[in-house]
Amino acid sequence: MDPAQSAPPPEHTEVPPEYPGFVDISVRLTGFDEFELRGTGMVRLYHDTTVEQVGTQAVSRFIDDLNAAGGDPDGLVDETSRDIARAITHLWYLGVWPQLSRSVHAALGRERANVAFVVSPESYTEGLAWRTFDAHPPGAKAPGHGSWSEPPAGAPAPGALRQTEDAA
Amino acid sequence: MTEPTVRREPPFRVPRDRADLHLFLQAALALEHLTIPPYLTAMYTLRPGTNRHAFYAIRGVVLEEMLHMTLVANLLNAVGGTPCVADPRFVTGYPALLPFSKEKVPIALRHFSVEALETFLYIERPDYVAEPPGHPSVADDDGWTSIGQFYNTIREGLVRLADELGERELFCGDPALQVGPRDFYNSGGEVLTVTDLDSALLALRVITEEGEGVSGTVFDSDDTLFGEAREPAHYFRFDEIRRQRSYGPLDTPATGPTGPAVDVRWGDAYPIDPAAKAAHYPPGSGVRLAADRFNEAYALLLCLLERAFTGEPAALQGAIPAMLELRDLAEQLYRNPHPDPARRAQGLYASPTYEVTTRHFDRARVAMPTP
Amino acid sequence: MSTAPRPATDRYDVIVAGAGLAGSLVAKQLGDQGWRVLVLEAGTRTLDTWPGTLDAMNTYYAALAKVPNAPYRPNAAAPSPDVIDVQGLPEGGFRSNGYFVQNGALPYSSDYLRATGGSALHWMGLVPRMQPEDFTVRSAYGYGRDWPIGYADLESHYRTAERMMGAAGDAAEQAEAAGTPYPTGYVYPMHPVPPTYLDRVLAARLDGKPVREAPGAEETVLRVVTTPAARNSTPNEQYDAGRGHRPDGAAGLPNYGERCVGNSSCVPICPVQAKYNPLKTQTTWSHRVTLVTHAVVSRVLANGNGHVYGVEYQQYDDPAAPVHTTRTAEADIVVLAAHSIENARLLLASGLANSSDQVGRNLMDHPTLLTWGLLDHPVGPFRGPGSTSGMENFRTGPARRDRAPFRIEIANWGWTWSAGSPGSDVARLLGMGGGSAQPRGKGLFGPRLREELGRHVGRQFTLQFAMEQDAESRNRVTLDPAHRDRLGNLRPVITYDLSDRVKRGIAAAKDVSDQIFGLIGAEDHTSYAPGPFSAGWFRFEGRDFVFQGAGHGAGTHVMGDDPATSVVDQWQRTWDHPTLYAVGCGSMPSMGTANPSLTMAAMTLRSCEQIHRDLTELHRPRTLRSAPALQVAVAIPQQEGQS
Repeated sequence: MDPAQSAPPPEHTEVPPEYPGFVDISVRLTGFDEFELRGTGMVRLYHDTTVEQVGTQAVSRFIDDLNAAGGDPDGLVDETSRDIARAITHLWYLGVWPQLSRSVHAALGRERANVAFVVSPESYTEGLAWRTFDAHPPGAKAPGHGSWSEPPAGAPAPGALRQTEDAA
Repeated sequence: MTEPTVRREPPFRVPRDRADLHLFLQAALALEHLTIPPYLTAMYTLRPGTNRHAFYAIRGVVLEEMLHMTLVANLLNAVGGTPCVADPRFVTGYPALLPFSKEKVPIALRHFSVEALETFLYIERPDYVAEPPGHPSVADDDGWTSIGQFYNTIREGLVRLADELGERELFCGDPALQVGPRDFYNSGGEVLTVTDLDSALLALRVITEEGEGVSGTVFDSDDTLFGEAREPAHYFRFDEIRRQRSYGPLDTPATGPTGPAVDVRWGDAYPIDPAAKAAHYPPGSGVRLAADRFNEAYALLLCLLERAFTGEPAALQGAIPAMLELRDLAEQLYRNPHPDPARRAQGLYASPTYEVTTRHFDRARVAMPTP
Repeated sequence: MSTAPRPATDRYDVIVAGAGLAGSLVAKQLGDQGWRVLVLEAGTRTLDTWPGTLDAMNTYYAALAKVPNAPYRPNAAAPSPDVIDVQGLPEGGFRSNGYFVQNGALPYSSDYLRATGGSALHWMGLVPRMQPEDFTVRSAYGYGRDWPIGYADLESHYRTAERMMGAAGDAAEQAEAAGTPYPTGYVYPMHPVPPTYLDRVLAARLDGKPVREAPGAEETVLRVVTTPAARNSTPNEQYDAGRGHRPDGAAGLPNYGERCVGNSSCVPICPVQAKYNPLKTQTTWSHRVTLVTHAVVSRVLANGNGHVYGVEYQQYDDPAAPVHTTRTAEADIVVLAAHSIENARLLLASGLANSSDQVGRNLMDHPTLLTWGLLDHPVGPFRGPGSTSGMENFRTGPARRDRAPFRIEIANWGWTWSAGSPGSDVARLLGMGGGSAQPRGKGLFGPRLREELGRHVGRQFTLQFAMEQDAESRNRVTLDPAHRDRLGNLRPVITYDLSDRVKRGIAAAKDVSDQIFGLIGAEDHTSYAPGPFSAGWFRFEGRDFVFQGAGHGAGTHVMGDDPATSVVDQWQRTWDHPTLYAVGCGSMPSMGTANPSLTMAAMTLRSCEQIHRDLTELHRPRTLRSAPALQVAVAIPQQEGQS
């Protein structure tokens, strides 16, 4: 038997939807690339959460607005679309769907409470915020005994610390 | 250390001299390492937050395999050998064949699945263990029949050579090379330093009993050896997952598991291609960059392990960041759909490939932190 | 009335109320000595299995506010106070919801946890010893209360506690920098937890630098030193005369947690249990120890002579249902180990041990001032334990006559406590820092957001100045029949304030902080203004400050050498009831500036020796004079012989 030939996926595996459009938009909003975003395993959950929270119509308008702005979130003029941009980014960075601004909440006529919530336990541990400063979410992805003694990215080596001070 | 010993199946005989013993122990080192990538693959293909019993069970086994590697390195150092792990020939290409076995069973990098578990069960199988070569009962055999037999043969060789050369002469290695509990931790059992025949035989006992169990029982001997909690041996921990039921305190291999049910969700794993190679991923793609980076980080890890096994035990500490980078890259890869449209259509995801070449080692040696 | 002894199964030698740090040690020591111990725990025991720990982890991950009690499910039958129960008002002052009723000038904003394992599930795990002068603050410095015992009486128990809890530290460094005496050659079971990169940056910039807390004050030379912690680190081979130390891993999962791996969540939960928690001690309890959970002790039972013989407790099944069964249990000795505020509450509710009128009084904490800023390069916050080093310069000395002494902790989790980072930073950069009602800013997106967030948070650090609080009888726990919990038990009513000497300590700490910030070249972002997250705001001598609670509640059944002025004697035995002990931080007459759990453990271990002596005395065979013809020696509990 050659195991290289034996790679049929299990029968029950459904090919999951990939939401390429949602990923493209998220890349622009977050500054993280597609590999990193998919690497969280959260694409589908965040896509579904966004649609569920603001509705397909608002999502469509948001996509249109972003396209009209040439894909640059800074170019979003409509406050509702801009607040959706903030919310999706917040979701990616912290795993938390935030409160929308009160006026946008009203404008959307949402039939749900305007409250912040952690979407799932894993969405917290997959938050991107921690990656921006070379850390990990507290309580998960532990970096290993003593690793905290070493300099983070972009910091001088401990041996250089004292010399720097003496020179200063 | 002469190069050919890096990866050569030892001849079917009891080690005759020190050089023979080095060859056998180096092969044992490679054997213990061989199982780690498949176990890690099953563990990190689990969808986050799911299959927790399986996650912690496999994790425990992986840590014990790392302990076994370290114990073999201690054995090799104790008898004046030099462990070699930072070498492309040390890293098996997957799928690999399980050495020292009668049947030619392929060991592949598979996602958490029934097939993966069945392979693991085969690796850890508490088989009938044949006597070492030369024994009348195996007079007709011309090759190894089990890993247990191979380890029994090392045991026999150690005893004979200690007798022939004298214990002190056999265990001539520098004690400073031994990795002790100060540098190795958080694993099943406790690393023990090897300085004489007693400690050597104890180390061998840990290696075989943690895997296959104490003969006729489900459990390992961590309770008697280390004063730790008694745990099912590796085979039975995998069997619990495969059969979705745990072993109770009175269960035996014959009764099978009759304890509480174990919650296993086979569907909560990212399916991967067991034959994946980094070359399958488009150059420049995020997946390819990560797969390449993974292999470099793996090479770095092996360089650090070799440093730890050849004179600087404290280097094990420095291996931790490399292990964590590997974990992070692996998890990210498994969550990215396979870049090849055909494989993606099958629902397959990308995966790290554990291909480590001379090029990777060269780059890793440059990236090594200064001691 | 029958005087025949009840069947043995109905009675215990000791009842312990509370399966937290102190209670677990009492059960361990007395069970090992052969006594039958019943431990009654008001909360649940979900956490003492590995699946229970994983459930707590998930609860923590999914919690919006990651406060100390976040991982632990709320329990209406045995409610716990929460730090988010206290909210500041826009113009100063505060509002308190939840379990505590508060009517003081300032909020008591510390929490605790009523569950198996107790508050030590979410403690930071720092275990510095108290300093010898801390035991004599009244006689040496003219404030607070003296202990009836001294450092020397506790020293050997400190060592036992350091063994049982698995302490990592550098005794020589502590002796030198903090003046803590150790026996010659003593080493901790484990080497110090490696200091954070931030500690190393601060050490490089501060070690050897002189500061004065005020112009003209005496100069002190700063030194960053590692803090002892009950956290698994590298074992010290020299420990125990060369026998070394084997770290205790997680309770419930073999071969896990034998080293701290830097999860950076000591508070509220160590996922690998590398940090000591009482569950580890519970796994080594003798079979003579019986743990009953979901059992809220509602009253200590005493007969007409004031003789304490047991407890009444409410056993519930479903924490959400207001239903329970009332039971009683009897024992020769009752030990309250339910947290200082709960111990006081129980004594008050039982009308016991209060002839001195000191029960509930002298409530103390370590009021903590935070200062926070940015350094000039990344310092690696949110990696590793919450704090691994501190500065010991201001823990004692002549200035103590005038102001509270304090200990400086270098806090490694950025501005998480001081300003809610990094969540607040993400919201601010996205233009939504003002909440949902405020107009929102444009916000940063894409690579600019990613870079700016990393650049900002990566340079964050906080200093924590923990004040010693002097014992004041006005700071107290009382009960009011109008305020009850789900099972009808009276909730603690808390009256709390800071003395001027604590406020002077806080002001001095801020002055020291300013100098430290100058020496390290930090950009100061500290601000103290009233607001929802600043319940501890106050103005003192024209300056604004905000203090935080440290979770170190103490003093509420104070120890002393005079029954007229204290609740318990030097053994933590109530003066009024020789078979009733109240153990824990509630017995402390003064706290010094050391995190109190280690000292609590040492005191408790010392008390266990006396409880053992008491029990031995109670069980001493006695001659029954009523049957002179037949001299029979029987073991019979003393109080039954009297009745």
